[in-house]
Amino acid sequence: MKPAAAICLSLVCARLFVSLPTMAGDKIDFNQDIRPILSENCYHCHGQDAEGRKGDLRLDLEEEAKKSVDGHAAISPKSRDKSKAWELLLTKDMDERMPPPKSKRKLTAKEIELLGTWIDEGAQYAPHWAYIPPTRNAVVSGSKAIDQLVADRLKKEQLEALPEADPRTLLRRVSLDLSGLPPTPSEISAFLTDPSDQAYEKVVDRLLNSKRFGERWARPWLDAARYADSNGFQADQLRDSWAYRDWLIDALNANMPFDQFTIEQLAGDLLPNSSLSQKIATGFHRTVTCNVEAGVHPEENRYNQVVDRVNTTGTVWLGTTLACVQCHDHKYDPFSMKDYYGIFSFFNNTPLEVENPSGKGVSFNFYGPKMPLPVDDSVTKKKTQLASQIKELDKHRQNFTADKAGGRKAWEARMLASLKDPPEWHELKITKFTSAGDETFKILDDQSVLITGRVPGTAHYEITSETKLSGITAFKLEALTHDQLPGKGPGRGDDERSNFILSEFEVRASSPGSPNIQLIELISAQADFSQNSWDVKNAIDGNQKTGWAIAPQFHKPHWAIFRTAQPCGSKTSSTSLRFTLDQNYGRGRTLGRVRLLALVGDPNAVEIPEGITATLQTRPQKRNKKQQSDLEKFYIKTNPELQQLEAMLAQSKKQLAALPSPSTLVMVEMDKARETHVMKRGNYLSPAEKVSASTPKSLHPFKAGLPGNRLGFAKWLMDPANPLVARVTVNRWWAELFGHGLVSTIEDFGTQSTPPSHPKLLDWLAVEFMESGWDMKHTLKTIVLSDTYRRDSKVTPSLLKEDPANRFYARGPRFRMSAEMIRDNALTVSGLLSTKMHGPPIMPYQPTGIWRQVGRNEPKWIEEKDEDRFRRGVYVVWRRAAPYPSFVNFDAPDRSACLVKRPRTNTPLQALTLMNDPAYVEIALALAGRIIRERPNEDIAARIDHGFELVLGRQPTKQERSYLVEVFQERFQHLQSAPADAAQIVKNGGSYIKLPARIPAKEMAAWFYIASILLNLDETINKG
Amino acid sequence: MNEIPAQLARTITRRQLFQNAGAGIGGMALASLFEQDGFASTSTSSGILGAGGLHFPPRAKNVIYVHMVGAPSHLDLFDYKPELQKRSGELCPDYMFKGKQLAFIREQPTLMGTPKGDQFAFKRCGKSGLAISNLLPNLQTVADEMCFIRTLHTDQFNHAPAQMFLLTGFQQFGRPSIGAWTSYGLGSENRNLPNFVVLVTGQVLGAGNSAWGSGFLPTIHQGIEFRSQGDPVLFLSNPKGINPSDRKKVVNSVNRLNNLSLAEVGDPEIETRIKQYEMAYRMQTSVPELMDIKDEPKEIHEMYGTEPGKTSFANNCLLARRLVERGVRFVQLFDQGWDHHSSLSTNLPRKASQVDRPLAALVKDLKMRGLLDETLIVWSAEFGRTPMAQGTNSGGEKTKAGRDHHKEAYTVWMAGGGVKPGHMHGITDEFGYGIVEDGVHVHDFNATLMRLLGIDHERLTFRYQGLRLRLTSVHGKVCEGVLA
Repeated sequence: MKPAAAICLSLVCARLFVSLPTMAGDKIDFNQDIRPILSENCYHCHGQDAEGRKGDLRLDLEEEAKKSVDGHAAISPKSRDKSKAWELLLTKDMDERMPPPKSKRKLTAKEIELLGTWIDEGAQYAPHWAYIPPTRNAVVSGSKAIDQLVADRLKKEQLEALPEADPRTLLRRVSLDLSGLPPTPSEISAFLTDPSDQAYEKVVDRLLNSKRFGERWARPWLDAARYADSNGFQADQLRDSWAYRDWLIDALNANMPFDQFTIEQLAGDLLPNSSLSQKIATGFHRTVTCNVEAGVHPEENRYNQVVDRVNTTGTVWLGTTLACVQCHDHKYDPFSMKDYYGIFSFFNNTPLEVENPSGKGVSFNFYGPKMPLPVDDSVTKKKTQLASQIKELDKHRQNFTADKAGGRKAWEARMLASLKDPPEWHELKITKFTSAGDETFKILDDQSVLITGRVPGTAHYEITSETKLSGITAFKLEALTHDQLPGKGPGRGDDERSNFILSEFEVRASSPGSPNIQLIELISAQADFSQNSWDVKNAIDGNQKTGWAIAPQFHKPHWAIFRTAQPCGSKTSSTSLRFTLDQNYGRGRTLGRVRLLALVGDPNAVEIPEGITATLQTRPQKRNKKQQSDLEKFYIKTNPELQQLEAMLAQSKKQLAALPSPSTLVMVEMDKARETHVMKRGNYLSPAEKVSASTPKSLHPFKAGLPGNRLGFAKWLMDPANPLVARVTVNRWWAELFGHGLVSTIEDFGTQSTPPSHPKLLDWLAVEFMESGWDMKHTLKTIVLSDTYRRDSKVTPSLLKEDPANRFYARGPRFRMSAEMIRDNALTVSGLLSTKMHGPPIMPYQPTGIWRQVGRNEPKWIEEKDEDRFRRGVYVVWRRAAPYPSFVNFDAPDRSACLVKRPRTNTPLQALTLMNDPAYVEIALALAGRIIRERPNEDIAARIDHGFELVLGRQPTKQERSYLVEVFQERFQHLQSAPADAAQIVKNGGSYIKLPARIPAKEMAAWFYIASILLNLDETINKG
Repeated sequence: MNEIPAQLARTITRRQLFQNAGAGIGGMALASLFEQDGFASTSTSSGILGAGGLHFPPRAKNVIYVHMVGAPSHLDLFDYKPELQKRSGELCPDYMFKGKQLAFIREQPTLMGTPKGDQFAFKRCGKSGLAISNLLPNLQTVADEMCFIRTLHTDQFNHAPAQMFLLTGFQQFGRPSIGAWTSYGLGSENRNLPNFVVLVTGQVLGAGNSAWGSGFLPTIHQGIEFRSQGDPVLFLSNPKGINPSDRKKVVNSVNRLNNLSLAEVGDPEIETRIKQYEMAYRMQTSVPELMDIKDEPKEIHEMYGTEPGKTSFANNCLLARRLVERGVRFVQLFDQGWDHHSSLSTNLPRKASQVDRPLAALVKDLKMRGLLDETLIVWSAEFGRTPMAQGTNSGGEKTKAGRDHHKEAYTVWMAGGGVKPGHMHGITDEFGYGIVEDGVHVHDFNATLMRLLGIDHERLTFRYQGLRLRLTSVHGKVCEGVLA
């Protein structure tokens, strides 16, 4: 114990220099003033985590804190000096001092004095606000309630609200907020000329009912749902769950009540007689990342996925950080490890999501419940038809194999004859070789191409040969070895396993001067060796995912022969043959040296093995049993009729494979539930006590009668007694509209959160939302109809000083749009936007080399060439290892983990994107074209006015207009003296941008500059 | 070995020269490279810690962090084990296999020594006598600058999770990388370049962009990859037909109109935006200038083994020097191809020869320029490799011997800024399998790196989801033994 004098001295100091924030007469509020201090500095050791607790003391529970031990209580109400805690806060004995110096936590003098005063006032505790159910507390209803509750606070802060924004600004703001797109010129003029009092409300209703609404509001939910189109981790392959994204857009458009919206996503599969759409909705929790790298432990992967599901659910519906409770009791919030694994148990009954396809080794594939999606009737019909055709052909083939007699003799005679006059292979002279990567190559004397240099992940070779041959009946591809190849080849990727995978082999023929290029139909494939499940037939099946490979026969040459359906090559002129060799597997499993040959003559007589030759030359009676059976097999293999059957079968299978058979990832409950245990330190290998599905005791009760599965859990979440879900949800929407939440820690409503700036408003909105029947559109409408939302967003000097972050809402919201909205907006104003909805993700323009992460089944970026190029951002493919780069530059996440608050940065990379990204160059050109097209005969100033109207929804000021006219004239003159630049700029749009006819390049290019300037303005990418 | 030519020492440019290079088009003084809405205080050039001062006197200002993707064999490069050599071919003791998590090995394996022959022999080097394999002849010459930790250990045994665990302190997605934490803590010294730059050779690692992501930190702190093909920074070059003077015109026009808007609307974010456009314009000059190594003297090219215009690890090492010279805080190099499950005896020499010369050159070059004292070089990997042989591939087929993933103990090294030169920390057992003395967990390692930069890893935190989160979770103890 230290002398009392020292304590008193420090007390005096504290009292002298500190003035408390509370207004005269206000008592200290536990939630507002005290809990944050205790939580930050004390609960770590004196809170709810039993394991980490020190000195057997809890300060989070009133009775524990005030309990007398040996005559001392940590907190002795009404007397700080009798409180042990107070003493230890101030003691000079550093071994005794709280918080201990080594904790690196330190209270400020102000915080210490607050605690002292609170104790003196009686040390009253109060439950954390977020765990008390919200109640209504405004005397008026509707949007007026919002305004009243905001006005109360403004008054207290002595701030004056700005007036309503001008109509054009307001229209642009509400259009971007509700539909994610700017208003069109006709929408602007309709609004400006509508004299009715309800003009604004009509606009709001129109926007809420627009199909664009769901697309705009899907974006933040998809961030929270960590929705992406790929697995994440090592190879980061693509997988289909876009049907879930479409479900979401449709559900938002249909204004599905939020309770139903929740239940379908968490447990749609468990609803009685669940519909297809309800099952698709469960994709919400199949969006988790999945590691399929070799050597992964499937159970660990599954455990991590369940952890992610629990944590995401906690953040999205409860605004609660459950992540820490995975390893220990919560330090701050009333959740124990047992609570965590109780929730875990609800999610613990879905199957493993990686599998070992071969049953040996340690190679794994993505796996888990997938559901086929319905397709058009016509497709279904075609499928059935093909399936029966395949069955029929298969039967034929079997019959044929069984009936070996027919035609056999004639065949033997023909074979024998061809042994005397054998068909001949001709080397094809290579005239041109190209490849998609930057490999180097050399054509060797034997007419083989040797490929060296950079090893790309995948490859696409094109080999052209001019030939005078005619009657070509087959092509032979030789995969040769060479000393310069790793492990001598024939593949390039690995000197140990020098494999290659030929995904597709195609041949096209054309005659000189003729524009017609004909794809030669290949009907059969045969190789000296094919790897298990990588048969050479795969090289001509039209499926880029399958192919021909040669493991484990590395380091030696191989060949494949492909027969043509019809003899090809012209007798009268030469033929140009173009071979394409696709090698998509990745990891450099590409061919190192290839040679091509063409066969003229009867292909059936080709490659007769030596043993068969001998047998044929032996009289039938003298053949031994083995010879007989070998010959029989060879007959079947080379019989033309059988070959034709095979070809037809292959053709039908190819057609069947080409028909769309979309699927989506869904949750499916296993028949037998898993046992759930508390995992020590969160380690999946350290199970401790067994737990059953249960919800945290500190929250509302799990109603009797609810099933003990995900469905029961989802219903528990949406119980009106849940104090969190409505608050957390309306707060997220508020933040979407105003740029920050009423609770600024959108992701956390626990005791460590920032208290709400307007607690009554938050509660009012939460109750309004629940009582409207969980009606999202109603809630949004109520907010956007308020005066608070409609205010001018000007940042006046006094507001900048008094409330820089606009926490009190004296002004309207102004902040930078999201990545997707910036692109959608630009596409709209330039007239390029396609409003096509739904379906597989799209791949707009992206610089090459972004998708470089390779591995098995590495996906390829195939740039869209039609309207898909210009669809909304919500449809752009999301690959976790490398999301769309221009989105990343505007703070889009990689969607690997749940995110409810995107950062908003302001960086030079954003400037570079808007100025130089070829996608934005296309957009600027299109905008330039649109301005001219829609103002064909007007002067520069009128066109600039139109550009402003399109891009910003307003007219330029006089100053802006005259400045841009000047810029235009300067640019025009400059381009006049640089015609090559002008021509080039116009060409930058490629074939995608249709420019108005008969406009000189210099004029077009000068307008491009104006358009690009407009698209780069701060105002353009801000919602103001 | 590559002695530093005397005339070079005279031509050394001072880093200050570069730091303010690039003329501002508006002539406006910039507060920071990047600004963030609502994060203004966290993005000042001095970083979050700048204002309040660092926790410790910093031993290093910059970091060059070299990650060998796939994980090289510590046993065959740095941690020689005569006993393993002697018992090579015997079945491994049970403790190495029973109840252990191994990625590929499924049947009790045999021990495997380092391949025989002079190529693989170890040599005691320099005054310190550190043992380094002959596979790294150039690094052998700088042994007296190196500080080994032979007892690093990790929790993860699959690549992507282990990479994330090492680099972000957490095996799942969502956490900031060590480079992002450093940028967040220390801020930027160069106004024309990003603060955290990433250079990659070979395929991108399994953890993808998350390895240099900013997690929940403001995105300005994420690593920016400078690509070796195409634009070094995405969208850096102007569209065809648009020259620098045209670009300047556009930037001026945009800024002029934005200034009008600023006067009207008053939002300070507009002012920041104006600065960013100026910065973007300057980057269009400063980045290509940085990436162009052809004007480096011949001696430098010989020392590193660099070839201008080529993508190589050597070029990246030289670029790393140019970046820290310009004050870029954190430079991270990733080199793919170290996952030697098979044919270790051919694969390891091939990879070692690619990195040996440039790494040694980097150490010498920084030293020669007086930058080694303030630059911390870190050479690491996501884990080590087993003393046991692996003889099958992922499909279960037989292969030539390699080694499997190993998390119990492996070697990393550092050089420069504040680490004991010529030092060896920690002792592994007779097989190089487990730790005998002075184990260093990944969290300890990261805590140590932070300490060298003057940061207390427990106090560099960010409030997210109601928690004060940090690089080292709730763990990490500075490894005092390696501090100079």
